[in-house]
Amino acid sequence: MATIATRAKSILANQQALLLIVLLVMVAFFTSRNHIFFSNAVFGNIISDWAPIVLIAIGETFVIISGGIDLSVGSTVAISGVVAAFAMRSLTTNGTSPTTTLILGVLVSAGVGFLVGAINAFLITKTNVVPFIATLVTMGAGSGLAIVFTGGGPIGGGPDQAIQLSVPKVGPFSYPGLGIVAIVVALGLFLHKARFGRYTYAIGSNEFAARAAGINTKRHLAKIYILSGILAGLSGYYYYLRLGCGAPTSGLGGELQAIAAVVIGGAALSGGEGRISGTVLGALILTTVTSGLIIINVAANWKQVVVAILIAAAVLLQEARTKGSSSKFLANLFTKKK
Amino acid sequence: MSTALYEVKNISKSYGSVVALSDVSLKIHAGEVIGLVGDNGAGKSTLVKVLSGAHQQSEGTVILEGVERKWESPHDALVAGVETLYQDSGLAPHLSVSANVFLGRERYTKGIFGKMGFLAQKEMDAVAHENLEKVGIAVPQSSRSVSQLSGGQRQAVAIGRAVSWASKVIILDEPTNHLGARQAGEVLAVIKAAKERGLGVIFISHTLPHVLQVTDRIVVLRLGKIVADAPTSTFDAESLLGTITGLID
Repeated sequence: MATIATRAKSILANQQALLLIVLLVMVAFFTSRNHIFFSNAVFGNIISDWAPIVLIAIGETFVIISGGIDLSVGSTVAISGVVAAFAMRSLTTNGTSPTTTLILGVLVSAGVGFLVGAINAFLITKTNVVPFIATLVTMGAGSGLAIVFTGGGPIGGGPDQAIQLSVPKVGPFSYPGLGIVAIVVALGLFLHKARFGRYTYAIGSNEFAARAAGINTKRHLAKIYILSGILAGLSGYYYYLRLGCGAPTSGLGGELQAIAAVVIGGAALSGGEGRISGTVLGALILTTVTSGLIIINVAANWKQVVVAILIAAAVLLQEARTKGSSSKFLANLFTKKK
Repeated sequence: MSTALYEVKNISKSYGSVVALSDVSLKIHAGEVIGLVGDNGAGKSTLVKVLSGAHQQSEGTVILEGVERKWESPHDALVAGVETLYQDSGLAPHLSVSANVFLGRERYTKGIFGKMGFLAQKEMDAVAHENLEKVGIAVPQSSRSVSQLSGGQRQAVAIGRAVSWASKVIILDEPTNHLGARQAGEVLAVIKAAKERGLGVIFISHTLPHVLQVTDRIVVLRLGKIVADAPTSTFDAESLLGTITGLID
């Protein structure tokens, strides 16, 4: 009995294992309600939804572990997709080859993301604006500009090959989707195995200690916000590929989805805590809920409610974990006295 | 008398119109432990910040091994061999013991991955354990996160880190605060070990028995000035307290 209890406890303490169980339960539930759910087509769709969200959520993971927040990622998705769409349209009209156009499009959207990230970095590290306000500013400006530039409508006229690229080719993954998986894996290694991640955790855990240890915390934070911007830019490009045009509404509310994925993944908004694997699963759960509810014919707005419950559960679990360790500490004290 | 290991001369520091330190001069020799004491607001913390490079003095000079230095940041002092343990411990609780010991001094894997910043974690775990043991601190597992340690263990890790890295001077700001008698005793033992290694130790504390027990010389600050600088043997608990509070001049 005791071993079962301790094993259950250790699973509860392992956010990743728990998330995997939640995900499997969801898949089983949706499949039991409608067998169509368990198909390559639906999985392909889920992965296509997941890819752009996980990109911004990974950036958000670095930001949140460092103790900050980036509210501008959704707007950055919109503005970078739109600017890249304009660029690719004029390249196409000028007779540039589709391949070159699509490659330049990646660079343009990443560049726009870089720019937004650099503005965030400047506001946060040079003018000492708190991240919430700094990124709220760029969030508003970004989504406003995306609508001003486009007049609110989608911008097409780029290479026709774009939309082909977003079709699943390897199981449920499209080629750009595989590219995103590669980015996620690489950044996971950088977060958990390399100096970049070590400093990110250190700053979120105790910025004073990080500075005292000789880490240039401002420069590191600047890099983190720029990284988040670039990833949001790439996410904007992915939406362009999926839609075949740049829409100013792409990425709408993306910041909340990203933050939700990170929190469900077990990161603490107070910084110093979080894992890439948690964010990956968090984003996957979010997109699975969306697709699943549609397939079992539940009104789409229920998604918000389910997501809210998931976030609440994740936060409560975190609370329970910290409390659990302190009560264990107390228990140890008492047993020692015996 | 040999040249001082670390020295500050005629240091003054003001914050706006508030004078925190005025004309403070202080010398420390290799293998010497000096106690820096004073009431709250006497200027101890400000002096520590100047000594550690966290703040720049308004006037005066800082000299390490006979060479005048200008610390732009604590990192400058760190690289030059002056380690500081700040009050309320400068550890990152979410990181492991070894990650904290090596924070800012990471070791990397060989080859291209090392150039990309990939960490030699196992090596750091082993060396951290070894270094802490060398300065007399036993931590069960250096891969454990600091948040899982008790307050005393955390302080021990912080001190162990500072002592194991310091090559010349170590500044300990209230290292025995919040510690039980046994743990404080361990800290004092670490200070003695650092002295035997030939480090200059600056020990800041409110706990006067600790200061009397472990130091060679005591420097008393009052209202931003040094009011006494004498061998520890010339003080007893009563006269030291009197000098701090100003009852004895």
